Amino acid sequence: MSQDHAIEDEVTPPPPTGAVARLGEEALTFVQTGRELYGIFIRTLYFCVRGRREPGSIAFYMHEVGNKSVFFLSVVMGFIGMIMVYQGGVQNLRILPDLSLMGASFLELLIRDLAASIGALMLATRVGAGIAAEIGSMVVTEQVDALRMSAADPVDYLVKPRFIASLVMTICLCIWGAAVSTITGTLTAYVYFDLNPMTFLNLTLVDAADLGTGLVKCVAYGAAIPIVSGHAGLATHGGSEGVGRATTRAVVNSSLAVIFLNLVISAVSYLLFPG
Amino acid sequence: MGSMGMLMGRIIARTMRLSLDREELMKNLYRMGVLSMPIVIVTALFTGGIMVIQAAPLVTRLQAYGLLGWGAGFGILREIAPLLTALMINGRVGANNTAELGTMVVTEQVDGLRALAIDPIGFLIAPRFIAIVVTLFLVTIFADILALVGAAYVGEWMLGVSPLTFFNGLTSGLLGVGDIVSGLIKATLYGVVIGLSSCHFGLAVRGGAPGVGKAVNATVVASAAGVFVLDYLVSFTL
Repeated sequence: MSQDHAIEDEVTPPPPTGAVARLGEEALTFVQTGRELYGIFIRTLYFCVRGRREPGSIAFYMHEVGNKSVFFLSVVMGFIGMIMVYQGGVQNLRILPDLSLMGASFLELLIRDLAASIGALMLATRVGAGIAAEIGSMVVTEQVDALRMSAADPVDYLVKPRFIASLVMTICLCIWGAAVSTITGTLTAYVYFDLNPMTFLNLTLVDAADLGTGLVKCVAYGAAIPIVSGHAGLATHGGSEGVGRATTRAVVNSSLAVIFLNLVISAVSYLLFPG
Repeated sequence: MGSMGMLMGRIIARTMRLSLDREELMKNLYRMGVLSMPIVIVTALFTGGIMVIQAAPLVTRLQAYGLLGWGAGFGILREIAPLLTALMINGRVGANNTAELGTMVVTEQVDGLRALAIDPIGFLIAPRFIAIVVTLFLVTIFADILALVGAAYVGEWMLGVSPLTFFNGLTSGLLGVGDIVSGLIKATLYGVVIGLSSCHFGLAVRGGAPGVGKAVNATVVASAAGVFVLDYLVSFTL
C-alpha cells in the first residue's frame, strides 16, 4: 500500500489550475523565453565575430530575405502611402482648409516611424515565417541534430547568416519602402487634393533626430526578427504540426517584438529630442 | 484567385443550407477568439501609446492639446486598430489555421473524412471561415476600446493631457459613428480575406512538413498584402 503511494507521488503533478497559478506559469515561460532569446542573440553576435566565414551563404539569404520581399513590400508600402495621404487630407479638411503642411507632416511621420515599423511588420510576417518554417523543417527531419553531431553549432550555421542578411536587408528595404510610399503619397495628393508635388515634398520638418530614430528602428527590427523566429524554429518539436505551430509562433512573437521595440524607441527618442 | 473564389462560393452555399458543424464552429470561435485575447490586448494598448507618441511633437508644436483625442481617436478607430488587429490575427489565427488544415491534408485526414462521406467544406472549412470573420469583428471592437485607453494614459504620462481632456476631444463632434462603422466594415472584410486565404493555402498543401511550412508562409504573405489592398479600396469608397 505504502509502495503504491510512493509511486503515485512520483507521477508528475497535474497542470496548475486557477488564475494565480496560470499567471505564474505564464510569467515563468515569459522569463525563460526571454533568457533563451538573449542566449541566442549573444551567441549570434559571438559567431558574427568569431564564427566561420561564409559570404556565399550570407549572399544567398540576402537574396531570400531582400530581393524576394521587394515586390510584397512595395505593394504594401505603396498602399500605405496612398491611404495615409488620403485619410490625412480628408481629416485635415474637416478642421483646416489649408493642406500646405500635410506633405511635411507626412514625410516626418514616414521617416520617423511608418517606413520602418510597417515595413518591419511586413517583414516579420514574410521573413519570420520563412525562417521558422525552414529551420523548423530541418529540426523535424533531424538535420539540426546531424549538425550538432558534427560538432557544428546550429546558431552558427543557421541563425547567423540569416541574422546578418536580415540586418542589412531590413535597412535597405525600409529605405526603399519609404521611397515607394513617398511617390504614391505625392501622386495621391496631386490627384485628389490638387496639391503641387513641389509643395508636398517639403522636408522642413524632417531633422536629424527623425532620421536617426528611423534608422535605429530599422536596425533594431532587423536584428530582432531573425533572432525571435530562429528561436521559434529551433524550438520546434513534433512533425508537420510542430512546424506549423513554430511558424505561427514566429510570426506572432516577431510582430509583438516589433511593436514593443517601436514603443520603447519612440518613447526614448521623444524624451531625448522633444518637439 | 479563381480557386479562392470557388472556395468562397462553396462556403456560402454550405452556410445557406446550414449544413455546417455547430460544435466545430463553437470550438473554433473559442480557440480563435478567446485564446487570441492576450496578444490583442498587448497590441492594442501599445498601439494606442505609439499613436500618441507619434502625434506628440505635432501637438506640442501647435499647443493643440484638446485635439489630441480627436487625432488619436480618428487614427485608431478608422485605420490602426482594425489594421494591426488584422495583422496580429493573421499571424496567430490565419497561420495556425493553415498549419492545422495542412497537417490534416498531409496526414490524409481530409481524405479520410471524404471516405466517411463527411463533407470537408461543411465540417472543416465553413466553421473556420465563419469563426475567423466573427472573431475579427468582435476583437476589433475590443481593440478599439483598449487602444483608446492606452492612448489616453500615455497622453497623460508623456504630455500631461488628462484622460478627461482626451475623451472630451474624442466626443466633441469631430468624430462620428461613421468612423467606428467604417473601421468595423474593414475588420469584417479583413476577416474574409484572412479566412479565405488561410483555408485555401491549407487545403493546397503538398509534400510533408516542409510543405506545411511553405503554405503557412504563403498564407501570411497573401493575407497581409490582401489586407492592405482592401484597406485602400475601402478607405476610398467609404
